[in-house]
Order: sequence, then structure tokens, then C-alpha cells
Amino acid sequence: MIKHNVLLYLRGIKKNTSSFLINLIGLSTGLVCVLLVYLWVSDELAMDRFHENEERIYQVFRNIPDGQGEISTYRSNSSLLLTALQEEVPEVEKAVAVYRLEAGSIVETEQKKTSAAGYFASEDYFEVFSIPLVAGDKSRILNDMNSVAISRKMANSLFGSAVNPIGKSVTIKNGEEVLEAVFTVNGVYEIPRNSSESFDFVIPYKKFLQDRNPDYIHWESNSSMMFALLRPDVHIDRLNAKMDRFIKNKDDDNRASVFLARYSDNYLNGRFENGERAGGRISYVYLFSLVAVFILLIACINFMNLSTAKASKRLKEIGIKKVIGANRKTLIFQFLVESVLLSSFSLLMAYLLAWLLLPWFNNLTGKQLFLELSPKLVFALIAATLFTGLLSGSYPALYLTQFNPIKVLKGKISSSFGELMLRKGLVVFQFCISILLIVAVSVIYMQLDFIQSKNLGYNKDNIIAFDRQDGLMNNMETFLEEAKKLPGVVNASYMQGSMTNFNNSSGGHSWPGQTEASKNLTFRHAHVGPNFIETMGIEMKEGRSYVNEKSNNGSKIILNETAVKLMGLENPIGTVIDMRGPNREIIGVVKDFHIQSLYDEIAPMALLCRTQWVGTLLVKIKAGREKETIASLSSLHEEFNPGLGFDFRFLDTQYQQVYQAEQRVATLSKYFAGMAILISCLGLFGLAAFSAERRRKEISIRKVLGQTVSQVTVMLSGEFMKLVFISMLIALPVAYLLATNWLSQFAYRISLHAGYFIGAGVVAILVALLTVGSQAMNAANKNPVYALKDE
Amino acid sequence: MLLELKNIFKWVNSGGQRIFLLKDINLSVEEGEFISVMGPSGSGKSTLLNVIGMLDTFDEGEYHFLDESVHTLKEKYRSNLYKEYIGFVFQSYHLLDDLTVYENLEMPLLYKKYKGTERKAMVGDMLDRFSIVGKKDLFPAQLSGGQQQLVGVARALIGKPKLILADEPTGNLNSQQSEEIMGLFKRLNEEDNVTIIQVTHSEKNAAYGSRIINLLDGRMI
Repeated sequence: MIKHNVLLYLRGIKKNTSSFLINLIGLSTGLVCVLLVYLWVSDELAMDRFHENEERIYQVFRNIPDGQGEISTYRSNSSLLLTALQEEVPEVEKAVAVYRLEAGSIVETEQKKTSAAGYFASEDYFEVFSIPLVAGDKSRILNDMNSVAISRKMANSLFGSAVNPIGKSVTIKNGEEVLEAVFTVNGVYEIPRNSSESFDFVIPYKKFLQDRNPDYIHWESNSSMMFALLRPDVHIDRLNAKMDRFIKNKDDDNRASVFLARYSDNYLNGRFENGERAGGRISYVYLFSLVAVFILLIACINFMNLSTAKASKRLKEIGIKKVIGANRKTLIFQFLVESVLLSSFSLLMAYLLAWLLLPWFNNLTGKQLFLELSPKLVFALIAATLFTGLLSGSYPALYLTQFNPIKVLKGKISSSFGELMLRKGLVVFQFCISILLIVAVSVIYMQLDFIQSKNLGYNKDNIIAFDRQDGLMNNMETFLEEAKKLPGVVNASYMQGSMTNFNNSSGGHSWPGQTEASKNLTFRHAHVGPNFIETMGIEMKEGRSYVNEKSNNGSKIILNETAVKLMGLENPIGTVIDMRGPNREIIGVVKDFHIQSLYDEIAPMALLCRTQWVGTLLVKIKAGREKETIASLSSLHEEFNPGLGFDFRFLDTQYQQVYQAEQRVATLSKYFAGMAILISCLGLFGLAAFSAERRRKEISIRKVLGQTVSQVTVMLSGEFMKLVFISMLIALPVAYLLATNWLSQFAYRISLHAGYFIGAGVVAILVALLTVGSQAMNAANKNPVYALKDE
Repeated sequence: MLLELKNIFKWVNSGGQRIFLLKDINLSVEEGEFISVMGPSGSGKSTLLNVIGMLDTFDEGEYHFLDESVHTLKEKYRSNLYKEYIGFVFQSYHLLDDLTVYENLEMPLLYKKYKGTERKAMVGDMLDRFSIVGKKDLFPAQLSGGQQQLVGVARALIGKPKLILADEPTGNLNSQQSEEIMGLFKRLNEEDNVTIIQVTHSEKNAAYGSRIINLLDGRMI
């Protein structure tokens, strides 16, 4: 029986190639989306979950009221917390402290010098985090203050893969005072693919504590990250309730309260709002899963619509089978087998397509996904096939097999009202999704464009940035003087941190006229060079910059507009404020500029002229002379840092990278929207063809009675245009709400106007019109005599 | 007795009025009979045939088929009953266009769950008997109307039914083809003792039968 049904099915395909292809293309496109998104989502979900005790690894976070009524959450903590956790909190089995060296450490052997990123980590690091060791003993690797563990990549780059790095000496330097010492390699590790963190070397935290200026070891100096491996069965809420006043109990004036949160959640739920986890990448995981399922659903709807619309062709078969003895169950089974067969074909095609598209998809998402037929994937594939097959086959199977065979054979089945409504409803649903996606694409693109072109308050063009390291540690200012003399260099300066991701802050300052509320005001706090304001093209609002203030810069300060406003200063220039160090006199106020992502409001900011903690050099280059200027900068850099490559980046590129996630979302939504529209139109195409076929007689009679071809075309297209129109009515308000919601997370955003929505509607209508119109015209142009003769 | 209809009524409601399709039908059929049902269009011939074939229901009355009371049977048993004992022949043949002659003949056996070897033998037998062995791999569209109906009759017979119901079996055929099919029916009736009830418009075809039932407006006259 299966054989006969398969034969019937295959021969049916031969006869109805077009609807078979529509279904095949639609379903395989839907399945490709699902497959690729599945790979991506499972990779995202697996991030940082490879640690053996992942469920018990927690990170300590610190909440502080920010003085503007909100709570800010920080990952950094005082180094004193390590021993406190180890000794005073019985729930903690092991505690680990990590100090992240800012990028740009120098690792040197006699033969080689390279730039690297590294950690100081306390003894139990490799016990708590399951980072596999290629060589060395994980319980002892961080015990000796003069030893270092390096990544396999670093080992290969320093010594080559043939040499055993254990026992070799390396010199590691970072920053002005943080580090400069010789270490012996006693471990090599391999960072797993699913790790969100990546570092080239790890040195013992003891070394950090030893070298640290004792002035900075107190409860207010937050430099390190703290992790805890909790004992099994610890109730985290109860522990956090206990931890709330942990720091205040040790340090009276401290406003911080600490809490523990699962470490592996950081990757997907990395944002904190008002002291609580507030999502993050997880929203993209949900978003894309949802979109992929919707696209598959659209394809399934095509299948349902086409198979019920073409029912008349199948009904005869069903009638005959019923008469010669088939019962309904066997028929339903037959239909389901057919649709599962189709979805299996589609799956094969989807798998092939996914395999072809994977390099492109990896490039798009910045991942290294691969198609490996693991049991999990095979299971997912089978599940997807069955789901697709059964879902799309269910309605036709139940619907087509319910009729009385005699009526069927006499052709007396007419489409019922409910059935027509259902079919139309499904089309409306398809177009709603498509329109939503079109709006999404245009809104995301407009917002990104807005971000790219927004006046940031500084000029990011033709500025290159590079790390202060090695020879520049001591000779930075000489280097800059030399650099400024190079032809093609407009100006040069330096700063602490980075222009695109700045997170140093300070608080507890006081000034005349300070109110109780503004006492807690937290400032972005940057050390910059004298030429910083000029190099970056930041505008002064009042006062003067550091350029003309060579001497005594140590007792001066420049603030931004927001700071002045929040501090409530009427005449800021000349006011002296206490920065918990030397008192500083305000000499200038700059107009606000954006140094954080546009998700956040501009924060109050203080610019101090100091070289301490400065990590980045900035050079402004004359437009059009980039190539030769960079070449001469590079050779100057070589003079100061022999053997170290000149590793620079353009500020505008760096700026774009801040919004990389959004760029990816934009590109992905573009393709998703394209697919949704394509599949919806395929379905519409099939339905229009069928409708034209069904109304052949009606069309003929109308034409005989005098309707023109164009009138008939309009009538036929109108039937479908109405549906697209209804979809617009439903989808556009929803799109508006979603767009408003998405944009609301940006502090700086485009204002929505009707254009985006009307545009999406017009696109949907045009595409639908093209699809349906051709069919309608075709039908309207037929000679009526033939259709009427048939009767 | 093969089957018996007692006071069968069937109606539809249209615009508040009850329109009778069958009105007080009483009919008993013995095994081996060859009955022709005649009457003008709309007189209820096909409806009667479908009621007998259990493809259609009725509103009042009793129907006994081989001592089973059909009117009290559940759908499932009813369909088992007709699957077992009744074969249908249609005016427009109703073969499955996408299956070959051989596969069309095999189809009913599949639903009766015959084994592969048995099916092969039964289909071969049928092909032989109707001299259509040479056509077994052709599709219906490649056959003439007469040949298609021949396959239709063969398909009805293959499950060895006691009763064949034929709804204007020669309606789409020319006179020569008609005679062949009617001759075939007569032989089946006489040689194999198959009971046949046919609906026909033609006096000539009706004459092949042993009894004629005339219907008018749903009544037997």
C-alpha cells in the first residue's frame, strides 16, 4: 500500500511540478533558516557552559547608587574581597580573583617580542574554571610567584610548536607600574572554542598583590574580578541576602553592596539595569529563533493552502479510494506520509543549502559554526522534518478526507465559507510577518545610519589609535613631539581608556554649593594629554583647554556640560573642587561628546591632564595622506619599540565595531525579510493560479457579458490585494509598538515617522501585485469560448 | 435473501420544506438477481443505489443486508460490510489516473490486506479473464472508454463481491462498447451468480436484467 501511495505521490509530482516546486522551495528555505539559526543558537547557548562545575561558578557583582536615582552594577571588586570570601563565607568552596591587564602587555623572549593580553589569577583559577591544560599541573600552576601559564597559541608564537615551552623564561611588561618581571613558563593551556574569554597568559595574583601600591589596597579601590565556586546545595538567594551588607560591615562609608550571580549567564544576560540582570544577547537568541520558526510556519502555510486549494484534483482519488474500501485513517496516514516525504526532500535540500551557506553565515555572525552530524543535530533534523511534515500535512489530511465519497465523485464539494476564511486568514498571517520584517529592517537600518552619522561631539575621522606599550611607557611625550613633526600629522595626544568604550569612573567628590543629592554623583574620569581636546576636535563651551596651560595642569580640571549642569554650578570657571586628592580648579567646560555607546545617556565627565594610567595614543592625520603618514609613524614607532609591530586601528572603524551586534542583526533581518516575502509570494502565486483556474467559468461569463480584460484583471487581483491590505492594518500597529520598544533602549535614536510604515506596506502591495497580477492577466486574456464549452 | 429495504425514506430540508428523495421504498433482492433501476432524471435512482451501497444514509426505515441490520450498524462496521460484499461500477469509470491498469486492480486488495503473492495471482487472474493482459502497464488515459470501463468492472469484481452496483455503467460508451459491457454483466450474473443492480436510462440495457424497478419522484411504481 505504501508503494502505491508513493507511486501516486511521485506521479502526482510529475503532473503538478509547479506546486511541488513552490512547496519544495518554500519548505527548504524555511528549513535552512531553522537549521542555521539552530546552529547559531546552540552555539550561543553553549557559551561558557563547558566548565565542569558551571552550575556552581558565580561571579561577585557590586551595586552602587549612581547619584541620579539609579543603581549601577560593576564587575570589579576590591582585592581584599578574595580572602574575605575564602575565610568568612562558608558557602564558598573556592574563591578566585582575577585582575585583567589592559590589552597591550608585552611578552618577550630573547628572540621574540609580541603584544598580548593576560590575567593575574589567584591559585584556584584552573580548579574552578575547566580550562584544559596541555602541560602543567592545575593545582600548582599559579602557586609560584615567578611562574606563568601561557596559551598554546602564545607558546607556538613564542617558541614554535616543536619546542616544549615548559621551563623557558619570558619577560612580561605592562603599564607604568603594574608589571615588569621575568617569569618561568610552567603551564600551557588551550582555551575552548565555547569560551567567551580569551587570554594569552596567566600569572599568579600574588604577584599582583605584591607589586600593587599599598595605597590602592582598600575597600574603595575596585580593580579585580571575583569568582566563587559555591558548595553544592547553596541557596543563592539566601546567600545574597547575607552578602548585601558584607562590604558595609567592613567599611562604614562604603556605599557598595555585593551579590553573586551565575558566571555562565554573563554571556547571554550581560546587561544590568538598576542592579538586576536585564538581558543582553539572549534577546537576539529569542528573536532569531522566533523569526526562523515564523519563516518555517509561512512555508508550512503555503503547503496547507496549496494542497487544500488544489483539493478538487485530489478529491477524486480520495473518493475512489473510499469507495473501494479505504477508511479515513488510512487516507489521513497517506496524506501525512506525503507531507513528511516532501519535508524530507526539503530537508535534504536545506541541508545542502546550509552547507553551502555556512561560510557566509559564519562570516555574518562572526562564529565558527560547522555542520557535524552529531546525535543531537540528527535528532533536531528529524524533529524538524516531522514537525514540518506533520504540521503542514495535518490540515489537508483532516480536511480532504472528511467528505462523503459520492459527493466527492460527483464534484459536489464547494469550498465552505469557513474554509475560505481560514485560507485567507493564513495568507493574512503570512503577510503580517513579512510586513513586520520589512519594517524591522528599515527601522534597524535607519537607526544604524543615524548612529554612523550622528554628531558625536568629536571628529572620529582620520584618527588612528594605538596602545601605549614598551618604549612608549617612559617616552610617550617625546614620541608625540616627534610624531607631530611628521608631515601629514595634524595633531597628536593620548588618553586613558578608549574613545568608544570608556568605563573608568570616580565618585565622592565635593565642591562649593554641593547639594545632598549631588553628593553621590559619579563622574566618568579620564586622564588625557594636553592636546586631547584639539586632536579630537571637541568644542569648548567656555574657558580654556590644557594646551595653553602647560604648567600646573596637575591642579586644573576640565568638565563637560552635563557635569556642570548636574553639579548645579552657575559660573563653573574658577570653581575649585575636591577630587579626593589635590584640589582642582575648573579651567574649562567642553561641550558634551559621546564616549560611550548611544544606548546610554551622556554622563558627567572630568578630563584631567595626567600621563598616569594612559593607555592609548591618538594621532590625527591629514585626509588623503593616510598611507605615507602611517608608514612614517610606523617607522617612528619602531624606533621607540624595536621589534614590536605597529598595531593601530582607525577610530571610525573601532566606532563601528561597537555596533557590530546591531549590524549583524540588520544584515540577518534583511535576509530573513527577503525570505519571508519570497515564500509568502510563492504561496500567493500558487493561490492566484488556483483561483484563476477555479473562476474560469465566471471569468468567461463576465467577458461574454462585456467586461474588459483590465476589469477582470482588477477583479481577480483585488481579491488578494484586500488580504494584503488587511495584513497591513494588523501588522503596522504591531510593527510600530515593536519598533518603539526596540528604539527605546537607545538614549539617542531616530524618531519614527509614517514613511517607514507606509514604505513597508507599499513594498508588500507591489510585490503581491506583481505576483497576482500576472496570473490574473493571464486568466483574463483567455478566450471565453473554451471555458464555456467545457461544461 | 441478499438484502431487504423496508419503508425507506430519505429527505432534505430546503426552504422550510421537506423534499423527499426516497419515499417508502420496499425492496427485497435475492442472490443471483439482475435488477435494472429505471426512471427519469431526479427520480432517485442513484440515491437508491447509494443507499443500497451504504455510501449514503437514509432518514427512516430498515435495511437488512445478509441478516445484518445496516441502519443500526456503526460507520466502521458498515464500511467493513460493503468492503467485503459490494463492488461499484461508475458511469465515468473513476479509475485512478496516476496508476496503471495493474495497480488500479491491485488497489482494493491492498485495503483488504491481501498478501503480495495472493494479490499477484488475483490481479493476473482478472487480467486474463478480461483479456487485458497486454494493457496492464498502461495508464487509464491511454485506454478507450470501453477498455476503461472494462478495468472498472474488473476492479469491482476483484474482491469477489456478492453484489455489483452499477450507476449507468454504459452512459459514456458507444453502442458497441455498451453491448460488450452488458454482455459481460450477463455472463457474470449467469455463470458466477453475482447479484447485479444497475441504474440505466436505456430500455435495451434494462432488458439484460431479470427484473426492472421503475422510480418516479422517489417512489417505486
